[in-house]
Amino acid sequence: MREKKEILLKVEHLCQYFKMGRAELKAVDDVSFDIKKGEVFGLVGESGCGKTTTGRSIIKLYDITSGNIVFKGIRIGAGKRSYQNAIRAAKKEYAEKIAAAGESEKARLKAELAEFVAGQQKEIKAAQYDQKRCDKEYAQKQIAFLKEKYLPEIEKAEGTAKAELQKKYRAELAKAKKTRLTTQIQMIFQDPIASLDPRMTVREIIAEGLIIQGEKNKEVIDRKVYEMLELVGLVREHAGRYPHEFSGGQRQRIGVARAIIMNPDLIIADEPVSALDVSIQAQVINLLNELRHKMGLTILFVAHDLSVVKYFSDRIGVMYFGRMVELADSDELFAHPMHPYTRSLLSAIPLPDPEYEKQRKRINYVPLRDHDYSKELPAMREVVPGHFVMCNQEEFDRYQQQLKESQSE
Amino acid sequence: MEKKLQVRDLTISFRTTDGKVQAVRGINFDLNRGETLAIVGESGSGKSVTSKAILGILAGNSIIEGGEIIYDGKDLLKISEEEFHTIRGDKIAMIFQDPMSSLNPIVKIGRQLTEAMILKGKARQRESRKNFNSYIAMLEKRMIEANEPKTAERAAEIKKKCKDFDTFEREHLKLENSYNVAHEAALDACSDLDELIFEISKNAAKDMNERVKRVLGLAAESVSEYVVKEDAPKLTALIGEAKQTLSASKKNPDTALLGKKLSEIRDILTKALALKQPNFLALGYYTAFAKEPLPKLPVEQLNAALRKYLDEHYMLDFIRDAKQALMFSADASYREKEKVIGLLKKYRGVYEKEQLDKKECLETCKLLSAEVEKSIDQMEISKDSVAYTFSAGLKSEIEKYFEAIGNNEREEKRFAKRQAKYQAKIAKGREPEGVPAPASVIDLELVRADMLRQIDRLSAHYEAKLAVRKERDFDAETIAVIDYLKANASGVVNKVTKRKAKNRAIKLMEEVGIPEARRRYNQYPFEFSGGMRQRIVIAIALAADPDILICDEPTTALDVTIQSQILELINGIKEKKKLSVIFITHDLGVVANMADRIAVMYAGKIVEYGTAADIFYESAHPYTWALLSSMPDLDTNDKLDAIPGTPPNMIYPPEGDAFAARNKYAMKIDFVRQPPMFQISDSHYAATWLLHPDAPKVDRPKGITDRIARMKERGKQDA
Repeated sequence: MREKKEILLKVEHLCQYFKMGRAELKAVDDVSFDIKKGEVFGLVGESGCGKTTTGRSIIKLYDITSGNIVFKGIRIGAGKRSYQNAIRAAKKEYAEKIAAAGESEKARLKAELAEFVAGQQKEIKAAQYDQKRCDKEYAQKQIAFLKEKYLPEIEKAEGTAKAELQKKYRAELAKAKKTRLTTQIQMIFQDPIASLDPRMTVREIIAEGLIIQGEKNKEVIDRKVYEMLELVGLVREHAGRYPHEFSGGQRQRIGVARAIIMNPDLIIADEPVSALDVSIQAQVINLLNELRHKMGLTILFVAHDLSVVKYFSDRIGVMYFGRMVELADSDELFAHPMHPYTRSLLSAIPLPDPEYEKQRKRINYVPLRDHDYSKELPAMREVVPGHFVMCNQEEFDRYQQQLKESQSE
Repeated sequence: MEKKLQVRDLTISFRTTDGKVQAVRGINFDLNRGETLAIVGESGSGKSVTSKAILGILAGNSIIEGGEIIYDGKDLLKISEEEFHTIRGDKIAMIFQDPMSSLNPIVKIGRQLTEAMILKGKARQRESRKNFNSYIAMLEKRMIEANEPKTAERAAEIKKKCKDFDTFEREHLKLENSYNVAHEAALDACSDLDELIFEISKNAAKDMNERVKRVLGLAAESVSEYVVKEDAPKLTALIGEAKQTLSASKKNPDTALLGKKLSEIRDILTKALALKQPNFLALGYYTAFAKEPLPKLPVEQLNAALRKYLDEHYMLDFIRDAKQALMFSADASYREKEKVIGLLKKYRGVYEKEQLDKKECLETCKLLSAEVEKSIDQMEISKDSVAYTFSAGLKSEIEKYFEAIGNNEREEKRFAKRQAKYQAKIAKGREPEGVPAPASVIDLELVRADMLRQIDRLSAHYEAKLAVRKERDFDAETIAVIDYLKANASGVVNKVTKRKAKNRAIKLMEEVGIPEARRRYNQYPFEFSGGMRQRIVIAIALAADPDILICDEPTTALDVTIQSQILELINGIKEKKKLSVIFITHDLGVVANMADRIAVMYAGKIVEYGTAADIFYESAHPYTWALLSSMPDLDTNDKLDAIPGTPPNMIYPPEGDAFAARNKYAMKIDFVRQPPMFQISDSHYAATWLLHPDAPKVDRPKGITDRIARMKERGKQDA
């Protein structure tokens, strides 16, 4: 049933720590997931659990602490903490070994350690390079591609055709130099009032990305802006107005237009409907849904309203205190929630049904009571294909048992 | 059902540079005691404005065009700001939408929570002392007056009785207070211990040393005469041992041993908490006046014995005397009331004359006021608001009348002058700017009618009182009097100290689900996340023990788990304190959980009004349908039915139904005339022409009917 689709974004062991005085705040701790092309991946959890930080780390608003972010097969973000830790651990381990070993052994162990450290340091360098230079690398690739495409043609052509080709080649080259891989990831922000510059007209706001990217032709810009406006359900006349002249829903549409004008492959929608009225919420969700089918967008949808996430997402990841605790297809997740936190989260959803609401019992999640991790620490395990839960072996067996029972019923 | 709040024809608009925005257009609703009324609508529908009007905090550019909000016999739109001080925050509290802006950023959370408590505590103490002293003095006077035969001995006896009441009441409260402190400490210690022991057993206690110390402190506090008495030496020893275990090695205390000690302490406290509470009133009397030591008896028998002692020596006599005094006072006041009715009839003519005489009017008013004053039974605990407000009301109407005479003349003169100028300009052939504003003349007859209404209302009220004269239950009233005295005495004795306020604040913080409340108490608002801040706001609102709680989108900014917790919290407090709640939101899912009744608002009007079941299962207004179908639930897979367009500009409110432009069921009449409220059932009303008998039959949208069918099915499965 599950189709094999191209993986667009791969997040591996992402860690994002913030300094808080001497201590460190583990906002995101060892989160891994991948997003396939064309799907909507929902990220839910309570406020402060790191879902927004995850989104922002992906779009490189932060330098990640550890882990890899791979977009379209290219590593766009990498952290070095894991390698540093490995070096530290190795040094400690070898120090013990060396102390215990004989003379002849010592030299060999030292060499081994040096080799290991050098290897890890190379990895760190690579990570740093990728973190900083991935965009330039990408630009150079684009330039090389253009050269390969145009230069032979230019040589072949003659006269006016040659001049025209050269002009076109130069324009595209200028654009390619400024091309950034990360512009193919765009973000829609939570608060449509705060995320639009009040002193820019809608046209300026929407076109800003294009201009930065090197588009100079005014006609092209205007055409694209109008196109986007119409796509998101506004009209051309709106382009000359300022954000304060719009209602909340319209402002959020402007935010969407600004994101999609870059023709992105991935949109990170950070609580795009939380600040909106119910009726307008529906308008924006319908819009995103339409765009998704029309433009083949992939969306990382961060939200806390579970009914909306369920309605909109193909797969859902549940986060708790910086960790991913459960990840599954959205229907599967709602039909068979396994992790106690997910259960507690689902039990808290209010529904427009007074009778049901009277009976609804919220389940409390108390990590200490619900888990016994004294013997074995939890890890992500695949309980059924495509359904991952953070658990240890004992819980894993229990979950599978539960699943079998519920299916046999 | 007791009606707490009545809103009638409330109309509010705002003056803006572009014109008058009509925010609320004639809404009506009632709020009963202990029920939740939800007001649902989009932003700009006037729901927040309504709630602000109830709280008297409308913006400066607002105009209250009409209507009334009646709370506790008063119209909140007309009372003075000073009077509002005793209601706002105290009787009617509000939880605001935006926790960022409703907390003071430069004051610590703890201070913000306790500020009102301490201020109010002081005021209450003053007030209680005044009430207690004046009432007991009055009671004494009446008791002596009512006493037959009047002998000096009896009078002295009565005087002594009243003095004794004061003395032993203080003694009683002192005892009860010390008991309460110890009992509460034991309760707190127990709940803390449960948590701590659990965490220690799991080896995951945070800040263990500090918490253990605090718990031990609480446990030590619980040692008192009536809580932990017999086990006190054992408990003290245990506390010492636990402290030793803790201090033996600061880094790695022996948790197993510590856990054991703590469990033992918990057992002692639990046992102590299970004890029955002694009767402190009787105990207070006994310790204050009996010369003998307390008899050694189990609590129940002791209670009975003490009660008997109190009754025989004091209470029965006191009650008899007090009842006599009450009856005496009531009789006197009934005689006065009859007199007042006569006087009112006699002098009514003064205000009916063609030409009112100012002097005569004021003098009569003075005379009547004095008589009415006499006719008020001071011994009654519940104040008779009609009688109390009579003289002030009549006087202000008389003044208004005679002021209006002069004003009207001036106005008319001014208008005549302007009009003359205007006509002159026109005669000259020029075009004047604008028309002269018409004279704003006050209708004297209306003012006179108000005067007469004051008089008629009072005589009707007194006649009604006289009619039920025979049915008064003086026994119950005597008990109420004693309770009133007791309550005031406790108001005097129970001082709200900083420490008490802090403890209460921390309790409130824990109640609203803030972990580590003790540490959080000393933090600033910016150190809290949005959800936590909202909880603080709720705690502040609840600190005053309000009658009515207005929640203006309290959970819109919060995520589901916290939202659910906060709603449970509000619901729980509502049940416990019989609170009336007005819950404002745009999220219908939240409403289903909370509301007993729902009012759906659109463009300043209530378009549908009914119980939760009416609105969710039988909704009749297209706007309610649209709201319901625009939100996805867990089973929605189809495209959402968004409401097209935006709400109308309320500077130019549409002529017909305001929702017509966005309504796919709109008929021609919807654009021309506003629909009236159609009654669907006893509790369910909707303002839509679709309910008119001549309207075509329209079915609810499929999305909603499907959803209701699904709900019913689920209900069957659960049952």
